[in-house]
Amino acid sequence: MSAAVAADPVSLERAAASPRRRFFRQLARKKLAMLAIIYLAIFYACGIFAPLIAPHDPYEQNLTPGATRQGPSSEHWLGTDALGRDLASRVIYAARTTVVFTVVVLVSGSLVLGLGLGLLAGYRGGWVDTLIMRVGEVLAGLPTLLLMLAITAAFRTRINDVAFWLQDNTFLGGDARTLVKFSIIVFATVPFAWIGTSRIVRSQALAIREETYVLAAEAMGASTWRIITRHILPGVLPLFVVGVSAGMAGTAGAEVTLSFLGLGIDPPTASFGSLIAAGAGPQTFERYPHLLLAPAIPVTLFFFAWNLLGDALVDLLEPRTQALR
Amino acid sequence: MAPGLAGYIVRRLLWAIPVLFAISVIVFYMLRLAPGDPVDSLLGQRYREEEAALIRKKYGYDQPIHIQYVKYMRHLLQGDLGVSTRHQSFTVSEIILPKIWVSARLGFIALVISFFLGIAAGIYAALARGTFLDPLTISFWLAIDAVPIFVAIPFLQWLFAVKLDLIGLSWQGFTSPNIILPILILSLPGTAGIARFVRASVLGVMKEDYVRTARAKGLPERIVVFRHIARNALLPLITIIGLSLPGVAGGSLIIEQMFGIPGIGAESFEAVLAPDFDVILALVLFGSVLFIVANILIDILYAIIDPRIRLGAQRG
Repeated sequence: MSAAVAADPVSLERAAASPRRRFFRQLARKKLAMLAIIYLAIFYACGIFAPLIAPHDPYEQNLTPGATRQGPSSEHWLGTDALGRDLASRVIYAARTTVVFTVVVLVSGSLVLGLGLGLLAGYRGGWVDTLIMRVGEVLAGLPTLLLMLAITAAFRTRINDVAFWLQDNTFLGGDARTLVKFSIIVFATVPFAWIGTSRIVRSQALAIREETYVLAAEAMGASTWRIITRHILPGVLPLFVVGVSAGMAGTAGAEVTLSFLGLGIDPPTASFGSLIAAGAGPQTFERYPHLLLAPAIPVTLFFFAWNLLGDALVDLLEPRTQALR
Repeated sequence: MAPGLAGYIVRRLLWAIPVLFAISVIVFYMLRLAPGDPVDSLLGQRYREEEAALIRKKYGYDQPIHIQYVKYMRHLLQGDLGVSTRHQSFTVSEIILPKIWVSARLGFIALVISFFLGIAAGIYAALARGTFLDPLTISFWLAIDAVPIFVAIPFLQWLFAVKLDLIGLSWQGFTSPNIILPILILSLPGTAGIARFVRASVLGVMKEDYVRTARAKGLPERIVVFRHIARNALLPLITIIGLSLPGVAGGSLIIEQMFGIPGIGAESFEAVLAPDFDVILALVLFGSVLFIVANILIDILYAIIDPRIRLGAQRG
């Protein structure tokens, strides 16, 4: 670089712009992706602050004639459901279910298992790699939805026993049942949620392992933990984020599908699946379209936003992924 | 034939044996150890313990699990998939084979449609790169993909059957126009993935030297697109076709359930709820075999089409 350029402070700053900053600048230029991020931020905020935002109590029933299945009004923005509960509040609480579920699966499935096992397999290689990838291969070969159903259905029959026991013997009280159902869905989803992520992470780690700076760190006697966290992880992270965001709609969809089939989170706890199930049916839709539309539109936009974001990220990182292959 | 292909196939098939063994053990133990019991669905909520014991004895559920497993495997190896606790006069194969046939035909029709749409959309988007039509096309299909099928189904059923009164909703076989809706809902969501894949692939090929050469020597754009770009760009689609095969024969649980289609998806839902041990096991093993076979097929096809790929080299 010539002295003239280096002397110019503006271009010096530009030359020093980190790849990360360049990445965010490119992302900001993609309007659809930005819209998706904004929508997701609102969705997650709604979920987290549901008790503050919801206009009514989502569990409060009103069975007086005329109060059930009302259309939208100024009192009930999205109308009421078959038990006279405020639908807007139930949709906001359904977002809460989705938010909690996606975060739990993200942390346990993608972060701990997906990233952890992927890094381990890619860096250590050998029999560790073979074992992890073979287990993944076996799990990936299973018909996922069928097994998720089998797992949830298998535990469903005795679920009340466990829930009542927890209710009586722990501090959980009324939340026990929801917690048990929730754990079952997580338990049914996580075994299948890590495979895709760990494959991406592994192939990336395999490539970075051979880089000079990793070899140098090894030569200086750095511990495996240090090499993985300090040298491999930063290189793996971008693709990990892409993989996770591309798979997020599917993860959230698993809970919605299971709840729709009556095997996931069940009423009175709100979930998009059970809300949609209550409004699904051509006759119901003819008479009470809001029962289907109120939960369907926000959750469809949620999936769409994750799809768009995943698509934009893949697009941005494409040159880099091809260079590394 | 690529060199070493036969040996490669044999090795892959041999590897499938421990995989299937592992799957069968996991699922068998999971079903037997979980609190759900076929007796519950056979006798209802309240029953006398003696009755339950009789039924468990009849199906052998009273024996230790490893003995049940050995017995099951011995029958399986002789081609006997066991008995259903729900339909007592039928064997498992009598129940699932006709249903697989229904699901497979439906799935095949849907697959052809989604590939046709996806390839067209993908090539179109790639050629329109740089204009707003590219992101519009892809986003359109992503939006379709984002609508959960259990939202699309009641809406479309209402639109076509109640509002417009064009078709009926009951399942009347493959010749009735009622089949249009399930086919549509089976095929549209998969299109986004194919379109995105084709678009990326076409964009990759468009950078190749031979495309520039074709343009430079003055070939008409139509020939460049179809003969030089599309032909090479569509090759990697084999992976997607292969990967969607298990889904084709596996049926769609929700679609079959909501349209009342007597396919393998609806069957698996009922079997899981019962729970009907032997039917669930048969379905899981069937799904896994499909997956393994599809993966082997992909590799073989790749090797035949592109001789540069050395089989076995990419898998350590």
